[in-house]
Amino acid sequence: MNPFIEIITQPDNIAIVIMVIMVCFYMVWAFQQAFQNDRLLAAGLPVDGENDRFVDTFKPLVRIELLVALVVMVGLTVWSILVDAPLEEIANPTLTPNPAKAPWYFLGLQELLVYFDPWLAGVVLPSLIVVGLIAIPYIDINPKGNGYYTFAERKYSIIIFSFGFFVLWLLLIVIGVFFRGPGWLWYWPWQEWDHSRVVFEPTKDLTAIIGIESRSFAGFIIGAVVVGSYLIGGMIAPYRYWKKNNPELLTQLGMIRYVTIIFLFITMMSIPIKMVLRLVFLIKYVWITPWFSV
Amino acid sequence: MKSLPEITDKVKKNLIWKSVFRRDYRNTVRDRAQAVFGNVFLHLHPVQVRESAVKLRFTWGMGGITLLAFIILVITGVVLMFYYHPSIDQAYTDIKDLEFQVPFGVILRNLHRWGAHFMVIVVMIHMFRVFMTGSYKAPRQFNWGVGVILLVLTFLLSFTGYLTPWDQLGFWAITVGTNMGAATPLLGYQGPFSEYLHITPYNDVRFALLGGAQVGGNALLRSYIWHCVAIPLVATILMMVHFWRVRKDGGISKPQK
Amino acid sequence: MANENKNSSSLRLYIFVFFSVVLLALSVWIVWDDEFGLRPWKKFQTEYKTLKHDKLEKDYRRAVVEFERSGGHRKLAELESKLDRAEGVFKSKENQEKYAKLNNQMEAAHEALTKSQKELRDLRGQFLEIEYYYTKTQKPDYKAKMDVLQRSIDTVALRVAAQQKAEDTIKGSLSALTSVTVGIRSEIAKMKNGLEEKKDKITSSDKVPVEIKQIHIADVDKADRCQSCHIGIDGKSQISGKQPFTRHPASFIYLDHHDPAKFGCTFCHRGQGRATTTAEKAHGNVKHWDEPMLQGDMTQTSCLNCHGDIKGLRGAEKIIKSTELIKKYGCYSCHKIPGYETVGDVGPVLTQVGTKVNYSWAISWLMDPKKYFSTARMPKFYFTQDQAESIADYLFSMSGTTRHDVDNTKSKPDAKLIEQGKALWAQSRCNLCHITGGRGGNNVKVYAPDLSKVGSKVNKEWMFKWIKDPNVYFPGTKMPRFRFTDEEINGLVAYITTEYQDEEAEYKYVQPVEIKAASIAKGKDLIQKYGCYGCHKLQGMEDMVQVAPSLRKQGVSFLRNNEMREKIGMELSSIGSKPVDMLDFGKLKSSIPNDRLSYIKQKLRDPRGYRLGLRMPNFRLAESEINELAAVLYGFTDSSVPTRFLVPSRQELDRMAGVPSYKFTGDFAKVIADVKCTNCHAIRGIGADYAPDISYAGSKLQEGWIRNFLANPDMIRPLLQQMPKFGLTSGKPQAKVTMPRFNLGKQKVEDTNKTDVDVVINFFQQELLSSDIPKEIPKINTIGLPEQIAKGKQLYDLKGCRACHQIGTDGGALGPNLTNVGNRLTQGFIFKHLENARKFKADIVEPNYGFTEPERIYLTNYLMTLKLNAK
Repeated sequence: MNPFIEIITQPDNIAIVIMVIMVCFYMVWAFQQAFQNDRLLAAGLPVDGENDRFVDTFKPLVRIELLVALVVMVGLTVWSILVDAPLEEIANPTLTPNPAKAPWYFLGLQELLVYFDPWLAGVVLPSLIVVGLIAIPYIDINPKGNGYYTFAERKYSIIIFSFGFFVLWLLLIVIGVFFRGPGWLWYWPWQEWDHSRVVFEPTKDLTAIIGIESRSFAGFIIGAVVVGSYLIGGMIAPYRYWKKNNPELLTQLGMIRYVTIIFLFITMMSIPIKMVLRLVFLIKYVWITPWFSV
Repeated sequence: MKSLPEITDKVKKNLIWKSVFRRDYRNTVRDRAQAVFGNVFLHLHPVQVRESAVKLRFTWGMGGITLLAFIILVITGVVLMFYYHPSIDQAYTDIKDLEFQVPFGVILRNLHRWGAHFMVIVVMIHMFRVFMTGSYKAPRQFNWGVGVILLVLTFLLSFTGYLTPWDQLGFWAITVGTNMGAATPLLGYQGPFSEYLHITPYNDVRFALLGGAQVGGNALLRSYIWHCVAIPLVATILMMVHFWRVRKDGGISKPQK
Repeated sequence: MANENKNSSSLRLYIFVFFSVVLLALSVWIVWDDEFGLRPWKKFQTEYKTLKHDKLEKDYRRAVVEFERSGGHRKLAELESKLDRAEGVFKSKENQEKYAKLNNQMEAAHEALTKSQKELRDLRGQFLEIEYYYTKTQKPDYKAKMDVLQRSIDTVALRVAAQQKAEDTIKGSLSALTSVTVGIRSEIAKMKNGLEEKKDKITSSDKVPVEIKQIHIADVDKADRCQSCHIGIDGKSQISGKQPFTRHPASFIYLDHHDPAKFGCTFCHRGQGRATTTAEKAHGNVKHWDEPMLQGDMTQTSCLNCHGDIKGLRGAEKIIKSTELIKKYGCYSCHKIPGYETVGDVGPVLTQVGTKVNYSWAISWLMDPKKYFSTARMPKFYFTQDQAESIADYLFSMSGTTRHDVDNTKSKPDAKLIEQGKALWAQSRCNLCHITGGRGGNNVKVYAPDLSKVGSKVNKEWMFKWIKDPNVYFPGTKMPRFRFTDEEINGLVAYITTEYQDEEAEYKYVQPVEIKAASIAKGKDLIQKYGCYGCHKLQGMEDMVQVAPSLRKQGVSFLRNNEMREKIGMELSSIGSKPVDMLDFGKLKSSIPNDRLSYIKQKLRDPRGYRLGLRMPNFRLAESEINELAAVLYGFTDSSVPTRFLVPSRQELDRMAGVPSYKFTGDFAKVIADVKCTNCHAIRGIGADYAPDISYAGSKLQEGWIRNFLANPDMIRPLLQQMPKFGLTSGKPQAKVTMPRFNLGKQKVEDTNKTDVDVVINFFQQELLSSDIPKEIPKINTIGLPEQIAKGKQLYDLKGCRACHQIGTDGGALGPNLTNVGNRLTQGFIFKHLENARKFKADIVEPNYGFTEPERIYLTNYLMTLKLNAK
């Protein structure tokens, strides 16, 4: 069978296919409504729902709730009739499957393992994701766009969130499910998995590129300087920029909020940066310390 | 031969019917309101809602669908518990028997598994919708936080359920997943700085998660209890908070400028 | 606006109704599917019930017709009134009193008899146990115990006989009393012929519920639901030949010894016992189930799970034959296989091979052994000319020789010498083991080399030394030392080297060429890489402690030292249950089925096909051999069979009982090390089954006859010639072969004064005895001996012995010729043999005639007179 069809018809992967279809559908719907509202806003007209009249809950809302429930149940039942839940061989601690994959919604994190050490990819980053998500209402001080779809009024927050949601979360899941084979190597869907395939990627540490042993003291210092300047530079640069162009914003934010936003942002951006470093420049670590490496 | 109104009359005009429904429904304003706040399931809703809250295009019904998925999972899950022993000797054969012997076992398990996947997907889309409509903004900041925690709990519910069939898929998914715990800074034996706390594979976070240094019988029991008792309990409480706050924060968000 | 609302609300209603109907339909479908779609066995069981009903109905109809034919109800009524009358007579007071009295007597007698019988059984059991230890250890105190027990047995046996007789008498009186009623009753029963039972059977079989039939084996939590579809598998009679309704084939072997209620199905057949929804799932032919069902002969591989010793196991014939292949090809030389740890090297010693063979021959052999002779067991390693030369260089240099060839055709020996050699070749029955020109080699399990081209392979000096005493060059060889004189050996060598030549042989190194050191080193590396030392004893590799660094770099970890004998190949002890995911299909992943059996077969077919760098050589097995070997390998599992199923082998039983396994000792050990009797004969469980088992030859055969036979084995020829060609006796057709002449009696055994023939005879008389066979037969004093002989002859004629046995020229050819039996066998043996022939040879064709003791004495006396007056 075509390996692509084989992969997407695996019972558990059908869920991912459904997810991809649903997410695309709702993404389009959300942005379509956002742009529509933007046009209304630009024309000075009320947005969708602004001048709503009230209707009774019983029955219009109850009816639609029942209808949705019915449709969902039909859909789930059809899914359950058509596809059987997988059950593989009995657990065997001595037989490691290759690749051993985490449940699909964690595959984004597993994918991060390629670029970061487990303590970062598996513990620190997920914790920061949760903390960051909870923090969103408190750091987003833009009062506009509350209660209606809009893009124009909250461009930056939507772009940043969408990047995190679609690229760093969902795209990495799709990659983990469909494009990763034995040895966590990259396989295109039409490629046959080859268990004996070995890919030799001569990765280096950052300092090794300029000829300094990364585990040496000098390497340690240089790595620390690079990481430190990313963090400190990332903190200072926007401050300087806004101070010059938009000082009001800074005063509105306040120092604590500013630091939180920028820290979360540069942490998030460190993921694509490290991915590029690893994939394009074949750099394994930027900074090696006796305790951890980044 | 009695006519239809006569029969309905007969059915409705007795003590039992009245004890359940109390009043006749006559489609007056009062009755419509009574139908909502007189019903324990419906009284989460206000008596009247804005028109666009009724339209699918604003909310997509994602929150409600999540609740529905949760209910389906609880029902199928409880029935599945009748046929399942969380021990490594029996778990796998119990799942095999679900397929081969238990009445409706196949459809039960399929509903439970696909319902779980579906709930994870729907919860994520729900979060996306809430973000896109800016509904986390004041006064709903706290409820957004509750929602994020519910999202994490949904992942954990699915994750703990993965191990229960005790097959290769679940075993290794859990092994890979919990290995991350070993990398926790300070508290995981492979994590940075853990050596200063004398952390070994036998006293770290992973050990606490699995009840052992490897995925085994204890891990199966733990994941079972987390899956069937602890997390659903916490999730239910948080859901109650979540729904309550939706009402108290003004219902479905509306354009505020 | 209002209109629009109304439209949309009625549309909503339609949607609502539509989805409700869909959900309802789905629910109905789920119920239907759960009731029928997922329970296909219901259909099978219903169909089976119909078939069974029809069959029982037919039986019943036939019985009804039979009943009508024999008189019908009118006759029945007649008989019943007759019975009433007879019972009236029996019920009379006088008869009843008599009956009660007899019954009481009967009870008492029976009780006494049962008690004595039990006592006798116990005594016999004890006796057998002691006797077993005695035959094993030959300790006299066991013998003493046996004698005591024997005496008790005799006493009790007499008592039992007397009590039996008393009981029989009472029984006779009782039956006389009731004979009339019993007779009428049996007549009625015969007429009815189970009419009612047959009818009941139909109703009761119709009442059998349709349900999942399951065998649950609690301690391993195995639930085999196979019978839910295979409903007639353990039935008493075949209801239908159609699957899944058939009965288990050969159930008298398999099911009768493995009660399905205790063993279930999947211990032997594998498959997924719990599955009930489809045949594919139940038979395990699905993804994520590693144990597909075993069918037909392949199932015999499961015998290996429990039976420690499958030798002679009924129903395991195929797998027994297949296991032989492991010994034939010496798989255990490279792979660790439990149970084969102590089996010797499969290949010959190569320590001095440079003094034995031609260099050119060695190269050609290394490159392709089957080119030299087609039955060669050595596999092809795909060596290049260069590699083969390096290996040969290493071997030759270790023998202290150079690259050299000797062309034996150059020196023409004396024609008379060749003639003598040829005669000796025939007389010594060399062809019994060795093939020449496509003939001979009947004793296949010796795996003697084909000698058709040996003249071009080995040089004459070596061959002379070899025939003189093979043990010097190759300790442990199967080749016997024929006690030839030097002159005789010269003749043989001359005959062999001129007669058996390879016309195509090349002799490139008639002028010897020095060997280069670099080539030797390379050869050594190759030998270590491919593990030649696994099968051959090599000089310089006796203990592989020293490791060539180049090998360590390649990560090879098969090095051997005195403590640790790591095998070069993968361990095979659990290949039959290895998870399929662990098997490396490599290049062939998508071109062959990804299951264990296909993997094993393909590996045997093309050992290096899966990927580059594999080292296993190609044995070029026939497809039938591949199937057989794969079947055996499939049986090497680590499956956890409950201990209660395990059947230990004889050796294990002995070990547990603390009985040492049998070993030859003393002077006879020296003789047997030379003459290798066990190449053909079995003695006390050691040896082959090619020639008769001689474990008890001392009790069976007369000394004089043995002596004559050893001196001149030809004399048995007329007897063996008559062995049937259709092979009823042991399934193996025997050609006209006899024992070789080993020229015993000419030499003294080392360190002793005795000649070897005396040692052999002595051993036979002292050791190869059976306590079952008395020295003499009991005498019957009342009749004179000639009378007994005459009676014996009468019996011989009466029982039709001549149908199978021949005396002189008279009689059949199925059994052994008895013309000279009086000289050959001991009277004790004949006497006991007549009592129970199977005791000595389990698969014998001779029927058991149930001779009484006097009859056996007569026959023995008669047979002992049958003597051929030998020269």
